[in-house]
Amino acid sequence: MKIRNFCIIAHIDHGKSTLADRLLASTGAVTKREEREQTLDSMDLERERGITIKASSVSVMHHYEGEDYMLNFIDTPGHVDFHYEVSRALQACEGAILVVDSAQGVEAQTVANAYLAIESDLEMIPVINKIDLPGARPEEIALETEQVLGLPADECIFTSAKTGAGITELLDAICARLPDPSPRKSGDEAPKSDDEKTRALIFDAKYDDYRGVVVYFRLFGGKLKVGDKIRMMGTKRGFAVGELGKFKPKMTRQKEPMLAGEVGYMVASIKTLADVNIGDTITLDNDPAECALPGYQEPHPMVFCDFYPSGETQFDDLREAVTKLHINDASFTYQPTNSEALGSGFRCGFLGMLHMDIIQERLEREGNVSLVQTAPTVTYEIEQRDGTVFEITNPADLPDPSLIKEIREPMITAEIITPNKSIGDLMKLCDQRRGEYKKQQYLSETRQILDYELPLAETIYDFYDKLKSITSGYGTMDYQLNGFRRDNLVKMDILVNGTRVDALSVIVHRDKAEYRGRVLLKRLKQEIDRHLFEIPLQAAIGGKIIARETIKSVGKNVTAKCYGGDVTRKRKLLEKQKKGKERMKRVGTVDIPQEAFMAVLDTGE
Amino acid sequence: MQQPQQVVSGHGVNLFQDTQNALGLYLHIPFCFHKCHYCDFYSIVDSATRHEDRQQHFTDALISELLTANDKSPLKVRTIFVGGGTPTLLQPKFWHQIFQTLHKIVDFSSLDEFTVEANPETVTDELMRLFAQNGVNRISIGAQSFDQSLLKVLERWHDPQNVSKAMNIARNAGIRYINLDMIFAIPSQTMDRLNADLDAVLDLQPDHISDYSLIFEPNTPLTQKRNMGLIQPIKEDIERDMFEHVITRLSQAGYDHYEISNWAKKTQANQDLPVWGNRCLHNLLYWHNANWLGFGPSAASHMNGHRWKNLPHLGKYIEGSPIPPTIDHEYLKQHDRIGEQLMMLLRLREGVSTAWIKKHIPDSDVRHQTIKELRDINMLEIRDNYLRLTDQGLFVGDAVIARLL
Repeated sequence: MKIRNFCIIAHIDHGKSTLADRLLASTGAVTKREEREQTLDSMDLERERGITIKASSVSVMHHYEGEDYMLNFIDTPGHVDFHYEVSRALQACEGAILVVDSAQGVEAQTVANAYLAIESDLEMIPVINKIDLPGARPEEIALETEQVLGLPADECIFTSAKTGAGITELLDAICARLPDPSPRKSGDEAPKSDDEKTRALIFDAKYDDYRGVVVYFRLFGGKLKVGDKIRMMGTKRGFAVGELGKFKPKMTRQKEPMLAGEVGYMVASIKTLADVNIGDTITLDNDPAECALPGYQEPHPMVFCDFYPSGETQFDDLREAVTKLHINDASFTYQPTNSEALGSGFRCGFLGMLHMDIIQERLEREGNVSLVQTAPTVTYEIEQRDGTVFEITNPADLPDPSLIKEIREPMITAEIITPNKSIGDLMKLCDQRRGEYKKQQYLSETRQILDYELPLAETIYDFYDKLKSITSGYGTMDYQLNGFRRDNLVKMDILVNGTRVDALSVIVHRDKAEYRGRVLLKRLKQEIDRHLFEIPLQAAIGGKIIARETIKSVGKNVTAKCYGGDVTRKRKLLEKQKKGKERMKRVGTVDIPQEAFMAVLDTGE
Repeated sequence: MQQPQQVVSGHGVNLFQDTQNALGLYLHIPFCFHKCHYCDFYSIVDSATRHEDRQQHFTDALISELLTANDKSPLKVRTIFVGGGTPTLLQPKFWHQIFQTLHKIVDFSSLDEFTVEANPETVTDELMRLFAQNGVNRISIGAQSFDQSLLKVLERWHDPQNVSKAMNIARNAGIRYINLDMIFAIPSQTMDRLNADLDAVLDLQPDHISDYSLIFEPNTPLTQKRNMGLIQPIKEDIERDMFEHVITRLSQAGYDHYEISNWAKKTQANQDLPVWGNRCLHNLLYWHNANWLGFGPSAASHMNGHRWKNLPHLGKYIEGSPIPPTIDHEYLKQHDRIGEQLMMLLRLREGVSTAWIKKHIPDSDVRHQTIKELRDINMLEIRDNYLRLTDQGLFVGDAVIARLL
């Protein structure tokens, strides 16, 4: 029996999950009755958002030219925030199916993911999908693929996951065109002797309430069986294999040992996901390999925000919710924090904005807590006059300006694919966001690829929404982090009723400070309800006030009559007034709603 | 003019030594000839002549319901209040039947106050004499305004001239206390027109004045008109000025502002009046959280912390007789009951005694901190061992009280 390990990569919405489902159905892995839409996206939230948060794998059988093939299909997430997970999944494969929508054509993530696959030395099969659509232009898109990615147009397979067209051809191509599994990866510096040793790459892990952590792995060399004592080569932790199996696509146990080239899962009494590092190498404790498989690196959170308990939720409730979720999802970081204004909470780090939204929603939904979230910020690199260099993730942690030599901020290289007619407006947007033009390249007669270097901080909030609106939804973007760059940055503090609210502090470019300050205070004025007293709002840099606003006090708020003894009704009316304050955070004597903490992100454009 | 000498009336005196035994009765008469556009009390449009049967059925049901409250010995009742609707729309023969029942179940010797609400157009000599003979000692007349065009905005159909006529008829019939209900901040009202209204009401020297700022209640025609942009509500700061002006003028004219919207004529030393003077004892009973039983559709009741309400539906009320369907049952937890009590007591200008606070609010309760904050920003103050809304806090009383719920 031959083995083929591959993944499917695509721009979001180009039909990756539907194609995966169709492959499962065609190989008989899923019966008609079991077939639910998007079998591989198991979490409710994933289904609702229509994206895949965590990679999964499925093993199916296919018969080709008189031989049985085991096809191990490794799913990948489809959003820019999860680049790291995509690259881990690619590491476990020899081949990749690159799916391109036959109406949309090549998009930003098509390019980004294809480059990732090329860097990983994967054999690629380009697939032009959705050919059943009225607007399909498969030949044209195949040429586009050749032009942009250098994948020959005549190697493209035209499919419709919906009708099933081209699916058998694709399965055959997987068997024919993808290479046999190799015991080593590109860039692998292990000695020859390691090829015989057990080396398994962890490409994903999930938490299951009954089994604990389920580890997904690709075995490169050697064998693994139930009862084996294993060692994680990165963390040096040891476990015993309690269960082995494959996804077909249901979790299916196997008694036989897992062999080189195979993909499967294991359960090994691992209590929390924090004990498992994606990308780590598993080897045998009594016969260890010398070198780990290459390429492991910690995912680096780039976007940070604080969560504080609000309403009835106490800090302990929040702590329980955060630690519980972290057992299930180790992709975010957390540490206790304390704000002068907001009390005790957690500072959390995320791979990106979408990731942050997902975690916040899961905390509220699964942990049943009520939160106030501060505006997301990025990591800043601070160089002090005495030469010390360190990073801060919270503007409030910025040292006294007199000590600072320079502040450096993280940069990204953004690759934007856009219709020609939006180019002008897009460039204007990038310029407003302190972007630096890099290059421009024609993708086809109607579309271009635009490269910009931008401060990450300028793109984390509404940049993507703006891009979408400028391009009427046709523009797409992908980004790579690209080091730190010095700029004229200052911390702007916000004072509410004379009290500095540290959670509203923001690091801004000096030239934009006054303008941002005015916009911010105007927004705060809209978001904070009138109180029983007048509330001055001020924006300050150091001790200097650069903008101010005032929220007038409530003029009249008293109901005259008492509803003929209907006290209940009266009380309920007043309780409604009180209720409105639940998702608010009290700073001094001022109730500040959640929305106000996000006001700092409003750029006023 | 000689200022009437003030007698301490009610302030600091525990009017209801034992709120559990201070019982009030509320009777709801759900008939009107026309729905006023601001009103959200339960009533149906009725004409006595055309709907005599309906009035009879209602009266029968009300009497049956009253009889369910009958005990072995007559009820020791402090106050009775008949509201509506327009109680005076009920024909005298039905009143007669109701009075008979009341005399059967209530010990009138302990009754301090018996109020009936009246529309100025319906106050007749016959009815007032019937009332006086049966123990009614207080009439509350819905004047609302003396300005014909403002009455039109409210869709009140009465002749302002008839207010003074009604007062005379009632007084001549022997009704001791007269209240006038007034409304201010009516769309298109100006400060001058407010003054004219205040002149008119003071000219009549009622014993008690309720002056409410107009409230746009949901599901009223007035609110719909506002939402459609057909009428402009008075601007908030002007409404506040108007309220302030009402307070100033009524105080200057010798009326004691004892609750957010209620004024009682100050009593003189030689007057033989109870300690609460001209105040409305029935409303004081509400504000002190004493017990009362409500009868008739939509009437609310409170007994020892239990609250409920009759279903606001005349048909079902009659159908269910003698036990009408009830809704909104409630028995609050101690913490919430304290909040509710504060809500009621702080409406009184005298406020709530610090002794009460000490006794009922545990040291651990965050309300102590809230009270401190509200005192710091001059919304609450302590005066004569009573915690009360400041003159400033009065205008935003709901917002202040909401913090303490």
